[in-house]
Amino acid sequence: MNERWRRSRFIAGEKATDKPVVLSHRRIFILPTKRGLGFLVLNLLLLLVAFIYNNNLAYLLTFLLSSVFFIAILHSFNSLSGLTLYKGHGKSVFAEEAAGFEIHINNPTPIERYNLQLTLQKTENLTLAADSRRLITLYSTTQKRGWHEAGTVTISSTYPLGLFRAWSPVQLNLKVLVYPKPASADAPLPESSSVQSGQGYNKKGMDDFYGIHEYQAGDPIKQIHWKAFAKGQGLFSKQYGGEEPTEIWLDYDATAGHHVEERLSQLCRWIIDADKAGIDYGLSLPGHKVAPGHGPTQAQKCLEALALF
Amino acid sequence: MRGEFNRFNKNVLIFLLSSIGLIVFPHVYHLPAAVLGFFFLLLGWRFIGIWKPDWLPASWFVLLLTVLGVGLLYSQHQSLFGRDPGTSLFVIGLALKLLEIKTERDIYLITYLAFIVAASQFLYEQNILVGVYILAVCCTLFATLVCINSLQPRTLPALKTAAVIIAQAMPIAGVLFILFPRVEAPRLMLLSENHQAKTGLSDSMEPGSISNLGLSDELVFRVKFKGAIPPSDQRYWRGPVLTHTDGRLWTQSVHKDFNRFLDTPKFTGAPYRYTLLMEPQDNPWVFALDMPAEYQPPLRLNANNQLISTELPGKRAEYKVTSYPRYNTGYITKTEYQDATQLPGKPSDKISQLVRQLHGFDSPPETYIQQLLTHFRNENFYYTLTPPLMEENPIETFLFETRYGFCSHYAAAFVYLMRVADIPSRIVSGYQGGELNKIGNFLEIRQAHAHAWAEVWLQDKGWVRVDPTAAVAPERIEQDVNVDQQIASGIVTFVSPTPQTLVAFDWLKQTRQLWNSADYNWQRWVINYNSMSQLQLLSSWGIQNIKTMLYSMIGLIGLIIAVLSWFLLYRKQKSTDRTLRLYNRFCKKLARKGVVRSESEGAKDFAERVKVRLPEQSAQIDQITDVFIRLRYGQSSGQKDLKQLHKLVTRFKTED
Repeated sequence: MNERWRRSRFIAGEKATDKPVVLSHRRIFILPTKRGLGFLVLNLLLLLVAFIYNNNLAYLLTFLLSSVFFIAILHSFNSLSGLTLYKGHGKSVFAEEAAGFEIHINNPTPIERYNLQLTLQKTENLTLAADSRRLITLYSTTQKRGWHEAGTVTISSTYPLGLFRAWSPVQLNLKVLVYPKPASADAPLPESSSVQSGQGYNKKGMDDFYGIHEYQAGDPIKQIHWKAFAKGQGLFSKQYGGEEPTEIWLDYDATAGHHVEERLSQLCRWIIDADKAGIDYGLSLPGHKVAPGHGPTQAQKCLEALALF
Repeated sequence: MRGEFNRFNKNVLIFLLSSIGLIVFPHVYHLPAAVLGFFFLLLGWRFIGIWKPDWLPASWFVLLLTVLGVGLLYSQHQSLFGRDPGTSLFVIGLALKLLEIKTERDIYLITYLAFIVAASQFLYEQNILVGVYILAVCCTLFATLVCINSLQPRTLPALKTAAVIIAQAMPIAGVLFILFPRVEAPRLMLLSENHQAKTGLSDSMEPGSISNLGLSDELVFRVKFKGAIPPSDQRYWRGPVLTHTDGRLWTQSVHKDFNRFLDTPKFTGAPYRYTLLMEPQDNPWVFALDMPAEYQPPLRLNANNQLISTELPGKRAEYKVTSYPRYNTGYITKTEYQDATQLPGKPSDKISQLVRQLHGFDSPPETYIQQLLTHFRNENFYYTLTPPLMEENPIETFLFETRYGFCSHYAAAFVYLMRVADIPSRIVSGYQGGELNKIGNFLEIRQAHAHAWAEVWLQDKGWVRVDPTAAVAPERIEQDVNVDQQIASGIVTFVSPTPQTLVAFDWLKQTRQLWNSADYNWQRWVINYNSMSQLQLLSSWGIQNIKTMLYSMIGLIGLIIAVLSWFLLYRKQKSTDRTLRLYNRFCKKLARKGVVRSESEGAKDFAERVKVRLPEQSAQIDQITDVFIRLRYGQSSGQKDLKQLHKLVTRFKTED
């Protein structure tokens, strides 16, 4: 019983879940809006008029309006009931960017939902036709790196008359990983055994043609063997190199910065730059190492390591 | 939401403004022209403002208009309380508020104000048409609210939604109407109402004045009989008794409220019991069938056996009365005798000679009456509704010169001639006949049925009714005045047994009667429902006190809401239920094979377990489980998958 009447249930909703959430009487709450209360005042006024003039049709109108008020509760419930929400994907972002959470809303019923409002930080309005579904992305600003949970998404509606608001707080176990905020781009990539900088590498690399290999995701576009592609031989990448394939190590201990976040921030910037440049890079954090490599998987691995450091 | 308001306000505004115009429109008949002009001017301005927002007045100008509105209100009504000023106040307020629609909140305020104006309409008129009209306009008002609360307002679906909500609200409204404890407002709270021109006979008669009444089909009252309806020649509905005359004008006696010597008449024969439903009147007269015997307060009988209501006559009222067609009023009091033989002066020689010629002075009164009636019948006297004017000595002029007249002329001449022969007599005004509404089985008495007849006091018989008009135009009494035709032509004709006119007017009459019957029941059961009829109705259902009344009201409303919830909510969830039912059927089939699903077992785990037992059917089992999970957890859009599941489960067979 206590669980049932917990205050937070009305605001935060039930515990977060991975399963689809079906909106039913357990989850939908309804309270009159300010306008609904105004409507009650109107009813009282009309009742008074009917009483003073002892006018039966005025009574009838008053009673009709108050019945409409009652009936509006049912219709209000109906505006949400039966909808199903389930979680979509969350895309990782850098700190202080808005994280987007995808939510699928499904309306398996034959009634159209005219005005649904989904609120995370901002409110999204949508209309959902009968037997249809929609993917909606809600944004929530992030402050710091690490896991960022969506928290409670409130779905609500004032349809049909605006006298009542039906709402349901839903926790969908949605979270995204927030990477550290990248530092501003002025610090060059750290020097390594054979590479000066990304720029230098590219110049040098262009000089020494090394061979071609089959295209791999993440290979720079510039190095694609377009002639072969145009001949219909498939995608190949040209490889350039000096004596050895170049690689750099991004080392936490070697990074300048006043505190942890500043260093992580700088590392984050380098990862982005290195990824753009298409060089192989490895990450070395105290107690955690990411072997050198390139491509989106490598970047993701490294950024995740930073986020969770 | 609020931010989005501007995006769609055009459609909503057109819709809202049209509804407002429709709400105020019927007040054209009741409110001062200046107030209405003000309202429709501002409404028109606001309409233009939809397309030309820049043309809308600035706030200082709205303030100016507000001052103007207040001034207008004061100049028209000099007060703020009461029906007319109150209605004007709300209409003016509504007009001013229209100019300031900025947020959604304003639209709500306007809608609520419009509901009040709609209710004020009922303070003026309460007939079915007004009821239906207001209901329809309320529907458009609700549709406006539906529009505001939809993202893409579409008027037709919004109207439909509003109509559905209103239709669903009606049963509860009905229960509330019947069971909500009614308390009659104390008299003090009945704010003074200006009486509109209401119908009614006048309390004096100058032959010629009643001809105007004869041409109106306005309803005066309706009568519903318990049992037989009296024949037409017995339907004399008693109104004011006119005793005093100055030769031209006949008025009521100043002694009409003398009750001291009043003796109750002796009644014989079968009574008529009936319910009178009076339309609003100027006078507190209740037209009972000659002669009223039993009645209930607030009715009382005056010295002339006329029923008077002590309630305000400006409202529709219902009375239960019992009358006996045979009666004997007994002796005559001295005052009555003096009143009933009063003459304005010595009769002229010509009149004395006529009375002598008819044996007025030398035969019993009964003989003299017969002689006089025969005189009317045999001499060329004519019945007409358009008699010539008789300014000087109207009675003499009528008797000897024009000889054209209607009931008042005949009654006045008759009574005058009786009094010359010293026989106590008086004129009774009222209504005669009435149109039978075959559908509702009640009589409708209209202004066209207004009539005047005479009463003569005879020894041992008391006051006896004599209708001299019947001697001249018996059809007037025996058959009904054909009201429809009379009004169409301005000439009185009587409905004869097989007339062509009857056929022509038949369908018209039937439609009218059907409508009148509906109107009668509306008046009786809806408009006149009050604390007393509520008490009667409820006690006939066994509801005796206010406590059971409230309990049954709450109980009934609960029941209706439960039924509505079932329709609205349960049926929508049927598809979810059907999914479960189909899956259970699948489980039952498997249970027969000995694979029982435990309560906590998930569909997927169960499927794995079953596949081990029935490897040859694993494809089917997988399919069913997949579709079920899709349906159950809402990742499917419903109907198609549901059909597939049904097919799969039905086909699934466990071979032995």
